[in-house]
Amino acid sequence: MKNVVTEAKLLLIGIPVAIWTLLPIYNLFVFSISSKDEVFAGRIWPEHPTLRNFETVLREQHHFLGHFWRQLGNSLLIAIAVGVITLLIATTAAFSISRLKTRGGRTVLNLALFTYFIPAAFLAVPMYKAMGVYGLLDNQWALILAMITIASPYAIWVLKQASDKLPFELDEAARIDGASPLQLFVLVYLPLMAPSLVAVGIYALLLAWNEYLYAFLLLSKPEDITLAVALGQFLSADDSPWELLMTTGLLYALPPAAIYYVFKRYMQTGLTAGAVKS
Amino acid sequence: MASVSFENIEKSFGSTKIIHGISFDIADGEFMVLVGPSGCGKSTLLRMLAGLEEISGGTISIDGRPVNDLDSKDRDIAMVFQSYALYPHMTVRDNMGFSLKLRKAQPNVITERVAKASGILNLDPYLDRYPRELSGGQRQRVAMGRAIVRDPKVFLFDEPLSNLDAKLRVQMRAEIKALHHRLKTTTVYVTHDQIEAMTMADRIAVMHDGRVEQIGAPLDLYDRPDNLFVAQFIGSPAMNIVNGTMRNSAGGAFVEAAGGMRWPVSPRNAVEGQPVTLGVRPEHLTLAAAAGDSVLGEIIVVEPMGAETELLIKAGESQVVLMTSGRPNVQPGERVGLSLDPGAVHLFDQKSGQRLAA
Repeated sequence: MKNVVTEAKLLLIGIPVAIWTLLPIYNLFVFSISSKDEVFAGRIWPEHPTLRNFETVLREQHHFLGHFWRQLGNSLLIAIAVGVITLLIATTAAFSISRLKTRGGRTVLNLALFTYFIPAAFLAVPMYKAMGVYGLLDNQWALILAMITIASPYAIWVLKQASDKLPFELDEAARIDGASPLQLFVLVYLPLMAPSLVAVGIYALLLAWNEYLYAFLLLSKPEDITLAVALGQFLSADDSPWELLMTTGLLYALPPAAIYYVFKRYMQTGLTAGAVKS
Repeated sequence: MASVSFENIEKSFGSTKIIHGISFDIADGEFMVLVGPSGCGKSTLLRMLAGLEEISGGTISIDGRPVNDLDSKDRDIAMVFQSYALYPHMTVRDNMGFSLKLRKAQPNVITERVAKASGILNLDPYLDRYPRELSGGQRQRVAMGRAIVRDPKVFLFDEPLSNLDAKLRVQMRAEIKALHHRLKTTTVYVTHDQIEAMTMADRIAVMHDGRVEQIGAPLDLYDRPDNLFVAQFIGSPAMNIVNGTMRNSAGGAFVEAAGGMRWPVSPRNAVEGQPVTLGVRPEHLTLAAAAGDSVLGEIIVVEPMGAETELLIKAGESQVVLMTSGRPNVQPGERVGLSLDPGAVHLFDQKSGQRLAA
């Protein structure tokens, strides 16, 4: 009996949350299979569903979409670069702080976390100026570096927590076995950290993939910008092609969904790994 | 194989000194056990020998060569940890061969030495398994295998049996001892379990509060403890202790305990009226008729264990344990006499705890 009540309560919360989350996505989907005339007809399901929009987008047949494939590629390239480089920085930092017990590591960790006290949006203008000083404006490295800056503190923190959970005797055993710090890192530390590395890498990758503000500020040439920025430009016209905007949005959401689905297992264990001290 | 020497070793963490100038030598091929209660510094001493802790003062030498400034990997030692510390992502084979791989040994040499070690430890069926697929005892054997493969100068064991259940612990104890017989490698073994120390060691160093209380062969420590701490730490059940005052009378020497109970002892160089602590092992007490000069007592608990029987007896204001072979026909509440062999009685100065020589 008690189970039924608990279940009912969960459903009562779960159903509204599910609707709340899924409705916009459903809306996105309905827009993407509606023709231009039907877009604002307000129906739950279009009278004449069509895949025309997808064809238009994929063949770059609209002036807003002239660089669709190029911009998708930009998004992908920048996201992967951010994921990989953040991982490189965060893993070595976490290893050094947690395993080699580098002096001052604790301070670095706290300083890194301190950067989150200032919202990323406030840092956008200073970051723009800084990139200007280095002559990186309109260069995709500007966006990559900015995103690494934003992603790294959290990545270091999570990996440090996860590192702390590896028994220290493993390091001692490896030292006695004759491992140098680098061998310890490559042969013992990295294989054991794999789940957390996957989770943190994907976190950084998706952060860059979804970024709009910094991408909008730091890049401007149509062939340099990411798809997220290109989507924003749809709204600059009075008669925006909403059905194409939504179709592109839907396509843009597919890679993260796929990544999340494939690595779901790691995401759950990896990101919570350091959360609770057991 | 090699000798090990500790010379005036000190260790401080911050301003807290936890090891106070320890010196002793371990002979080539010897099985030395460091034993003591937790916090006595035995593990720290071992870790300093392993190169896992800085040495605050003094010199540690292996084979006559000071190793204070050498890295762990250059000391030619192998260590078995309490938690086994096997690499979870490597098979048993790779775990055992890891150190040789790091030393860039030829693959055929690695294969050969892993095979030899796994043969000694009966690990052949498990070579391709991962540590998580092994039982506690098997993991422990892999940890030993990893040490053997190296063929080091010194084996270090840090409480290797503490995570095993009682039955397995007894079995592994025998295995480690047999292994030492076979390889004759100098071994330093840390434990808090005095039975492990007694059964395995060539010599035992009993440690307490960062000092070595006594070093000697297991039975020497048992028969002639230098002080009260060693007397009570070595032996199970523990030595019976009675506080009293030394009396030398014409009829013989005795210790007069609180309440007037008289415990006969052989004459010692203790002066009349000196406060002393008398120690007698449970097996040196025997039941006697409750009359004459025997110590009188009342049985509180009878614990039959088959081959032996343990009796808890209240004698005067002290409680003592008596261990006798066989199965005496006594009941709780019964009044009995106790006789003790005066020659087997230990006497200690009550203040310093030091042994009073006969």
